Amino acid sequence: MAYTSLTQQNPLRVLNMSKDSQMGLVMARAGLGKTALLVQIALDAILRGKRVIHVSIGQGIDKTRVWYDDILQLILQGHSVDRPHELIDMVSRHRMIMTFQASAFSRARLEERLNDLVLQDIFRPNCLIVDGFDFDTADREALEDLKNLMESMHLQAWFSAVRHREDLRVSPHGVPAPCHEIDDLFDTIILLQPREDASIELEFINNSSEHAIGSKGLRLDPTTMMVKER
Amino acid sequence: MKKDLSKVRNIGISAHIDSGKTTLTERILFFTQRIHAIHEVRGKDGVGATMDSMDLERERGITIQSAATHCTWKDYAINIIDTPGHVDFTIEVERALRVLDGAVLILCSVGGVQSQSITVNRQMTRYKVPRIAFINKCDRTGANPGRVVQQLRDKLGLNAVLMQMPIGLESDLEGMIDLVAMQAVYFDGDQGREIRREAIPAHLQDEAQAKREELLDAASMFSDELMELMLEEGDIPEAVVHEAIRRGTLSLGLTPVMIGSAYKNKGIQLLLDAVATYLPTPMDIENTALDLNDEEAEKTVSNDPADPLVALAFKLEDGRYGQLTYIRTYQGEVKKGDTIINSRTGKKVKVGRLVRMHADEMEEIEEAGSGDIVALFGVDCASGDTFCAPELSWSMSSMHIPAPVISLAIKPVDNKAQINMAKALNRFTKEDPTFKTYVDHETSETIISGMGELHLEVYIERMKREYKAEVEVGAPQVAYRETITRRADFDYTHKKQTGGSGQFGRVAGFVEPLEEGEYEFVDQIVGGAIPREFISSCDKGFQKSLDKGTLTGAPITGVRITINDGAYHAVDSSDVAFQLAAIGAFRQGYDKAAAVIMEPIMKVAVEGPSEFQGAVMGSINQRRGVIIGTFEEGSYTVVEAEVPLVEMFGYSTTLRSLTQGKAEFTMEFSTYKQVPKGLADELIKAFNEKKKES
Repeated sequence: MAYTSLTQQNPLRVLNMSKDSQMGLVMARAGLGKTALLVQIALDAILRGKRVIHVSIGQGIDKTRVWYDDILQLILQGHSVDRPHELIDMVSRHRMIMTFQASAFSRARLEERLNDLVLQDIFRPNCLIVDGFDFDTADREALEDLKNLMESMHLQAWFSAVRHREDLRVSPHGVPAPCHEIDDLFDTIILLQPREDASIELEFINNSSEHAIGSKGLRLDPTTMMVKER
Repeated sequence: MKKDLSKVRNIGISAHIDSGKTTLTERILFFTQRIHAIHEVRGKDGVGATMDSMDLERERGITIQSAATHCTWKDYAINIIDTPGHVDFTIEVERALRVLDGAVLILCSVGGVQSQSITVNRQMTRYKVPRIAFINKCDRTGANPGRVVQQLRDKLGLNAVLMQMPIGLESDLEGMIDLVAMQAVYFDGDQGREIRREAIPAHLQDEAQAKREELLDAASMFSDELMELMLEEGDIPEAVVHEAIRRGTLSLGLTPVMIGSAYKNKGIQLLLDAVATYLPTPMDIENTALDLNDEEAEKTVSNDPADPLVALAFKLEDGRYGQLTYIRTYQGEVKKGDTIINSRTGKKVKVGRLVRMHADEMEEIEEAGSGDIVALFGVDCASGDTFCAPELSWSMSSMHIPAPVISLAIKPVDNKAQINMAKALNRFTKEDPTFKTYVDHETSETIISGMGELHLEVYIERMKREYKAEVEVGAPQVAYRETITRRADFDYTHKKQTGGSGQFGRVAGFVEPLEEGEYEFVDQIVGGAIPREFISSCDKGFQKSLDKGTLTGAPITGVRITINDGAYHAVDSSDVAFQLAAIGAFRQGYDKAAAVIMEPIMKVAVEGPSEFQGAVMGSINQRRGVIIGTFEEGSYTVVEAEVPLVEMFGYSTTLRSLTQGKAEFTMEFSTYKQVPKGLADELIKAFNEKKKES
């Protein structure tokens, strides 16, 4: 892969999600950069030659696409790439955006769509990003159902969840509500925590099933929402 | 003469094909008493709707050209531009948007926001056109205005607010509740001419109250007065609500949504009231022109009738009355007998007859004030030209004109057709800047090019019908381009000494890819290696070389050429010698610069029932398309993709058979991308064979 130099320096390497059919979760309060982080995880996978489907629930195609364009531009600004257009082209060929209105999203629907793509050999994803899944109303069964789907299709999946300031429930591993009762379904959970210096720290829980490795000292640059090492 | 600009509305009506815009326009003209009988678009009476004046439009039931028409509602003067709904004609839509102050976006209550509505909405946003939405066809089975409003918010990102609520739906549509006046409105009498306002039916009271709250909440963001009144919980005068909504609409922060059924004559009068109340006057909109005498400095037009005239010719029509030029005035007045200047050509034009148009009928007028839309007779110009009073030389800012992406060869069947074809082409190129024509010198064929298959088809039909020019049509060709992918040096000497005066010139430098733009020439000659007077000859020679690439004969774009050395001869060097040297030099560099072929890529949106999504994606994949994304909502799906234009020929037929006619697609030009190797080889082979033949 010609773009390995772009990925080797990526701080996200610490995620260590090398096996397929693992599930990850990004949790934060509204506006702290969940989507930005998911898109960086997706781009990191794409640059390593993987194919990503970005499922966006409640957002349009254009809005989602703009996230990729913006973050890719930031990556390009930080590295010199010979032919930026080829890279941009490569990214669009390795990514597909699927948007659903909240009421239209279900496991059955998703499976049908994924099968449409895989069986006709249109697009064979390695990784699924699910942004906007409603954890407040979803029950454990629904999530187990999705996990089974990922396993049967050998897909790595990343979800985002919104936590609420007023809800103080926490799981024994430190995973806050609304995911405090389903944290065992995820291999990696990243909490985005605002710090006093206005930066946002990434706190890792359950990293690849080794419990509570704790913070690796990564943070999001609040101006660009890019992952940086401290 | 209506001089009060606050009572003038220049509006456009645009929408997705078949959502009923021509029917609606027809009803507006009926209710404003411009016409005395209603004809349906696909009427059994064979007369057709009044706005569709071309035979072809009547036959196909679509509106191709935007006819401007004038009408009066209460004491408001309304100029309406009926705009085409098919994406291949977007230049018509865009041109109309340029001269409009406001617009009505029509949506079908069943189909909702469809792909074309998205395109039109994007164009309206580009030209900052305030708009109101009209949800039509509320009498149809499956009508759901609430869902359409949600789509306006989700898909178009508009802050859409219902101004009305239906009383009954589908075949039970009785009337509507006016949420500002809080009254039920019914349409009685002959063709719904009489409006009956009554108390809201008891069973709808609560829902209406809730909807009104929503409306007031949204409107109060634009009016402190309204917000205070709401906090005080006192009576809210209608005028305050109207003013708040008007402000929201003008700032593009709010989109009032009206509902009704044009076909059943329900809601038209209220829509006209909304046009008068919420849409901008010419004074509310800031338009700018470029002053050609002041290095194209941007000037704001004043709308003041006392200032010198500035008017834009936005449409030409060659009808039974001779050439008609539709103009929109931005300041000053135009009177019969005035002399005005075409600022592009500098030519003086005398204003002969001045008319107000109502589709096929016209009304002679003596003068037209600022902000008006009228038509001139017998004026020679191209569409997009600006007319000014003699003391000004302003040009209305140039319009966004896309380059043609598809072309085909046409051949007249006989001599008579040849003459008529020339006339027709001359007319069409003046009317439509996206339609181009030229003669290919190698094949002597006449080539026409435009924005899509349908675009060209319509012109070929018009040639036959209006100009009696029968032509044979070749297969459509995609407008390929060539470009280079790496830097290459050149050093070329052109030398000719075969008696008479000789020719000599040496040009050295390099070519390199240019990411943005088509061509750039850089002169780095020092010490007079090439004399000053021949530098421009080199530039000319390079530009000539760009007309035809060596791979397939397509134009070359995206090249920067730098010259840094050369040589000349005191006697034998000339303009021609250096031009030829540059051509030779370019060839030399081009051969080494890894040239590639580029093809136009279209942004395609296919919309249809979700059950066909797999089939649609498969069909796009087979066409070398890259699927960007899918949008799913209820049982409907939109698939967005980028597909090479050459693969889209005949797609409508494929799509129809794949989806039982339930899906439809739109496409617009997106970008140029490199052709894959296998296809490039085929193109090169075909080009070489053709070259051998001729």
